[in-house]
Amino acid sequence: MCSRRLRSTATAYTLLAPSLLGVAVFLLLPMLVVAWLSLHRWDLLGPIRYVGLDNWRAVLTDGTFGNSLLVTAAFVALVVPAQTALGLVAASLLARQLPGSAVFRTVYVLPWICAPIAIAVLWRWLLAPTDGAVNTLLGRRVEWLTDPGLALPMVSAVTVWTNVGYVTLFFLAGILAIPKDIHDAARLDGATSFQRFVKITLPLLRPTLFFVLVTGIISAAQVFDTVYALTGGGPQNRTDLVAHRIYAEAFGAAAVGRAAVMAIILFAILVAATVAQHLYFRRRISYDLA
Amino acid sequence: MTGRMRFSTLIALSVVAVMALLIAGAVVLGRDHEPAGRTVITVRLWDQQVAQAYRRSFDEFTRRRPDIEVRVNVVAYSSYFDALRTDVAGGSADDIFWISNAYFAPYADSGRLIGVPPRPDWESSVVEQFTRNGTLWGVPQLTDAGIALYYNADLLATAGVDPAALDSLRWSPDDAQDTLRPMLARLTAGDGRRWAYNAGNDLQGIYLNYIGSAGGVFSVGDRFAFDNPQASQAFTYLVRLINVDKVAPPASDTNDNGDFSRNMFLQGRMALFQSGTYNLAQIAANAPFRWGVALMPAGPAGRVSVTNGIAAAGNSASKHPDAMRAVLAWMGSAKGNSYLGANGAAVPAVLAAQRAYFDFWAANGVDVAPFFEVLRGPRIPAPGGQGFAAGFDAMKPYFDEMFLGRLDVTAALARAQRAANAATGP
Amino acid sequence: MTSPSRAVAVYAMLTTGAVITLAPFTSGVLTSFTSARQFATGTPLELPNPPTLANYAGLADAGFGRATVVTALMTALIVVGQLVFSVSAAYAFARLTFRGRDTLFWIYIATLMVPATVTIVPLYLMMAEAGLRNTFWALVLPFVFGSPYAIFLLREHFRSIPADLINAARLDGANTADVLVHVVVPASKPILVTLTLITVVSQWNNFMWPLVITSGPKWQVLTVATAALQSQYNAQWTLVMAATTLAIVPLIAVFVALQRHIVRSIVVTGLK
Repeated sequence: MCSRRLRSTATAYTLLAPSLLGVAVFLLLPMLVVAWLSLHRWDLLGPIRYVGLDNWRAVLTDGTFGNSLLVTAAFVALVVPAQTALGLVAASLLARQLPGSAVFRTVYVLPWICAPIAIAVLWRWLLAPTDGAVNTLLGRRVEWLTDPGLALPMVSAVTVWTNVGYVTLFFLAGILAIPKDIHDAARLDGATSFQRFVKITLPLLRPTLFFVLVTGIISAAQVFDTVYALTGGGPQNRTDLVAHRIYAEAFGAAAVGRAAVMAIILFAILVAATVAQHLYFRRRISYDLA
Repeated sequence: MTGRMRFSTLIALSVVAVMALLIAGAVVLGRDHEPAGRTVITVRLWDQQVAQAYRRSFDEFTRRRPDIEVRVNVVAYSSYFDALRTDVAGGSADDIFWISNAYFAPYADSGRLIGVPPRPDWESSVVEQFTRNGTLWGVPQLTDAGIALYYNADLLATAGVDPAALDSLRWSPDDAQDTLRPMLARLTAGDGRRWAYNAGNDLQGIYLNYIGSAGGVFSVGDRFAFDNPQASQAFTYLVRLINVDKVAPPASDTNDNGDFSRNMFLQGRMALFQSGTYNLAQIAANAPFRWGVALMPAGPAGRVSVTNGIAAAGNSASKHPDAMRAVLAWMGSAKGNSYLGANGAAVPAVLAAQRAYFDFWAANGVDVAPFFEVLRGPRIPAPGGQGFAAGFDAMKPYFDEMFLGRLDVTAALARAQRAANAATGP
Repeated sequence: MTSPSRAVAVYAMLTTGAVITLAPFTSGVLTSFTSARQFATGTPLELPNPPTLANYAGLADAGFGRATVVTALMTALIVVGQLVFSVSAAYAFARLTFRGRDTLFWIYIATLMVPATVTIVPLYLMMAEAGLRNTFWALVLPFVFGSPYAIFLLREHFRSIPADLINAARLDGANTADVLVHVVVPASKPILVTLTLITVVSQWNNFMWPLVITSGPKWQVLTVATAALQSQYNAQWTLVMAATTLAIVPLIAVFVALQRHIVRSIVVTGLK
């Protein structure tokens, strides 16, 4: 028994060695480095100078980061409900499994498969004020990406357009997993399809809904490619999502210490959000479908 | 039993083999084609036309020094300085790279460039621009000369305008003295897809000259100082041209796209294009219409242009410092630098090499005098300094809004100047 | 079950969705076959007349051929590495007992919460200090050693493999490698296919890290090449659309061919 455990341990650590290396060097060590960096000033060219809490003070008071957080919050509030609702609608349509549904399903997921940066560049042309497809179609000149009121909604719309198909798949699987008996029984009791949807389908989709919301929020909070190609932070920083702000601070303005501070704060927020969601939903998701 | 053991080992080995193969592929891809016995020096710049001139120049150089091969690397201007910073910082930048007055200070101050002894046969304004703390930090390569007005002769003819009339245009906050605006109105088609002029958020081509011609300043030393009444007049005038008179493309097209107006001009959708010699070769090569060059419009304080120079800096971290210096010496020699002028790509900064430039354009029937004549008068200095990149980034949102007509000029200049100087930092 | 009128309504809505999804791609592709001259003089929505391949030829000059090779090589290496090392680690967590197992696993899980945005800056510094900036290795190393996400999924899966199968193999004298090859992997084919597809898609489309860690044409991947082309040839839309089409088409082709697998995979991983 003893020697087997020893051998087991040796084998285990051999098997674990590569991933352990990866996790330690590329995930854990950076956390330490970013904390260290946040206390220094570096413009990528000169020496790295210790500045104590200067960066923290600056980032927390100068408003650019606060603006990014607000913009990101607004963005998440625009994107997640929209893509969730649309995904749910599409899934309920596809769940009827009319002939040809598989084709529609494939089509809807196409945008999600593509590189977000390529999608963003494509939409940059579609929304271009001069020579853009959308404006040509409308016959009017609309400043989709440079009007401060329109820029964030448009970036959100592109993101929703990209994600709906992906969300649809999850809801579709969830809907199809509901046993038919429940629906049949309800139909026998005279429930209309709308009633069945609201009282049976939706509640039983809670786990899926939870998953879709959580992953939706976390991925929306990290959108970068779309902003980079469409607006570069937007008119008056109206589309300066957090991931873009961090990039711009580090590699545009060459203020790497500040970028490190922002990264840490973002991390803290995401962790808090994830934990809060887990706690909130933990009590509400298990259903026995046996 | 033994068979099975060998199978799993076989699998393990094949996985290793696959990875080895892929790694080998990467190594092959990564191999620099270092020709045997030769040192390779790389040169980075942003101008496609000039790059071709350099290639010819370096062919001649390699004939004289067969042990050194020079490769030219072109990086788009829009990302040139961001990429340069990260590359130099990461130690993977080219041996020699172009620097501009606006962006070279941090590199010099952090010891990334090698000092160069100045020579009397180099254009003095360029030497001055690239001298910092008593040292010259690059070999002058070209001087931009001044700003002038390219015009589409066909469009002018259609509108019944004589090109000679362009030389006497003047702009003024006082409508009675303003001859530019009426001219631009004549040359605009009004359909929203064709314009008369490229007024816009263009530092070198447009607004520095307007500020100077109004008698104002843009910067003083390393600090931004454009919040002054004369500059305010200049910007107010420009913003009006774009948003009220609509004789220039909307700022939403030009704010983030430095090539938009040039492309419109080349497509025959813009009658007048105010710019410098840095676009001359492109226009000559690509314009499908008759065109010419006139003097740029004068302002209340006369005709004041910016002039800029480009230098080639040596990377202090180069792996082949001796070869690099040899190439730099060639680039700073009359013979080496003359190639830049020979095809009219740029005005060489080595005085003896400038002849080639004038000869070329004269032979092609293009009068480049306007670019040089404008320099006989007062000039406005090109900005630069230690924190210029950060400052320029910080003022961009305000300038964008101002040109879009959404932020009042006085407020925009005040806020932008504050933000820019704050970002320039200690 | 669905009445005809309902069916018509459903199809109408589904078709609207499909049009909204496909129209942008179609416009982009058509523009990529339009000559620059036609685009400038006509309206942007005209059909290419005549269609031209000039824009794609321009891409070759812009280094897209090499970018495709670099991207493919990088993706292949990462996929192989991630699969092998994640399977090994997941097996250790799932079926072996050893000191520190649970703590270690929790550490792995904890790293799932670290978003890429946060590690980009420090990783850049680390790579720069190690002299690995703008190298192929910098593209690959952060990802090749296994992914905690994959390890998490695989562990779940491996735990549900019946112990008898493994015990039987051990009784026959199998060592760990044999168990992996002959029992564990065959029993997990669907999840492994899933992970492969997910990794291929996410690595092929990766943008921010390659953008930051590479520069210039030598090691640029397709995503970076597309963005660079757009910024260099801004407003030359015919050329830019050729780049986006090229960036998009390979994965779409793969997807359409394997769509049933892929769809199943996406759902399976998500709902675990």
